[in-house]
Amino acid sequence: ENREAMLNSRSNRLTEALEEANALFDGVCRAREAALDAQFLVLASNIGKEKASELHSEMSAFDSTAFAEDLLTFMGINRIEEADDSEDDQSGFLPRDAWKKMGEEAVKYFKRAPVFHYMLGSFKSEPTVPKQRIERQKKASRGKAEQAMPAQLKKMEESHQEATEKEVERILGILQTHFENDPDTPISFFDFVIDPNSFARTVENMFHVSFLIRDGLARIKLDEDELPVIEPTKPSGGGEEESRAGARNQVIIRLDQREWK
Amino acid sequence: QVSELVQFLLLKDQKKIPIKRADMLKTVIREYRDAYSEIVNKAGKTLQEVFGLQLVEIDSKRHTYILINNEPRAESKYLCRDKEKEKMGLLLIILSFIFMKGNSVKDSALWEFLHLLRVYPGKEHQVFGDVRKLVTEEFVRQKYLEITPIPLTDPPEFKYQWGPRAEKEISKKDVLNAVAKIQGKDPTFWASQYSEAQATR
Repeated sequence: ENREAMLNSRSNRLTEALEEANALFDGVCRAREAALDAQFLVLASNIGKEKASELHSEMSAFDSTAFAEDLLTFMGINRIEEADDSEDDQSGFLPRDAWKKMGEEAVKYFKRAPVFHYMLGSFKSEPTVPKQRIERQKKASRGKAEQAMPAQLKKMEESHQEATEKEVERILGILQTHFENDPDTPISFFDFVIDPNSFARTVENMFHVSFLIRDGLARIKLDEDELPVIEPTKPSGGGEEESRAGARNQVIIRLDQREWK
Repeated sequence: QVSELVQFLLLKDQKKIPIKRADMLKTVIREYRDAYSEIVNKAGKTLQEVFGLQLVEIDSKRHTYILINNEPRAESKYLCRDKEKEKMGLLLIILSFIFMKGNSVKDSALWEFLHLLRVYPGKEHQVFGDVRKLVTEEFVRQKYLEITPIPLTDPPEFKYQWGPRAEKEISKKDVLNAVAKIQGKDPTFWASQYSEAQATR
């Protein structure tokens, strides 16, 4: 119990306790008492070890309070003199980037391997290719949402046929989501299918979109600039007309790699 | 095989949890067990030459490895997210405290110190969230810290020391220099810590 008192380097309490235990041991005749004695010995030696280590650090005393103060200063603490803060033993205001500042200094000292992440699948940057086409469109660019598409379309699983169906469904879903967000503006067909990083993907996207057209789930028309735009067909209303219109049209779109670029 | 292993190691390192040899054998090398050490050596070489990383064994009994950065520290900003930086900041402070106090501190002493920096084990921290969890679980799992119970203490107390990853990723000299910089003093101000830092590789 008197751990702290024993740890005090100026105290001989530990030695006294040991001597007392020694004397007591002579009177021991039961196993239980011997066990207690052993327990005491472990405790005593731990305390002894602690005392020894404290002795070591006392050689070059390290003032942790001063260290803490200096750390706060380093992190940019704002020390305002306020009378009513006297109850609170912590006056001063740590800015929001305090720990970031500390961190920026800290990383210099660690030989930490940078964390490795795949580059694929997170298309944060704006594609440069469709930019030309977007400019020609008078409508507002739906940039971000479309950028998300190539990432989603990257995954190809299982058998080809299943994959195709899944892809087609997924594309329909994306098209419909766009329209939920922005019902009056059809999407430029090229914006929709072109993958700025892969010609092969672009062709695949067109392939999948063609299924949607064939099944009457989406419709392609020409906008005022004579550029193709795509929109999902509404499930209800005008059903007859749409299915008739979708029935017998054949369109060939030619796209080679140079043109894609 | 080698490149598969390299990729595996880089991925596993994301969480900074040491990689077990058993996992390496299971996942990658499979039929090539005999060539294991050759494959590991080659992977290590690739990691060094291509990425500037070193594969280090931190536990020769349990055969666990970590990746550390072997490149001389560039002056330019180290590429990592703010969250990571902030954690490293806290970690450096803890490691410094432990070293300056003689390489081992009691949990009560550490938390008392962190209290001065407005970091409390029981309170959700604006930057670190559950700090106690971060320090006693995450840092320990990553082998930055080692926490061992002090026997026969009631209520149980623990001692905190540097973990094997800390030993490999940072030196006592670095830590002393950091402390000295922050306190605006010369590292030799703390004589015994200084000589210990000089003595350690």
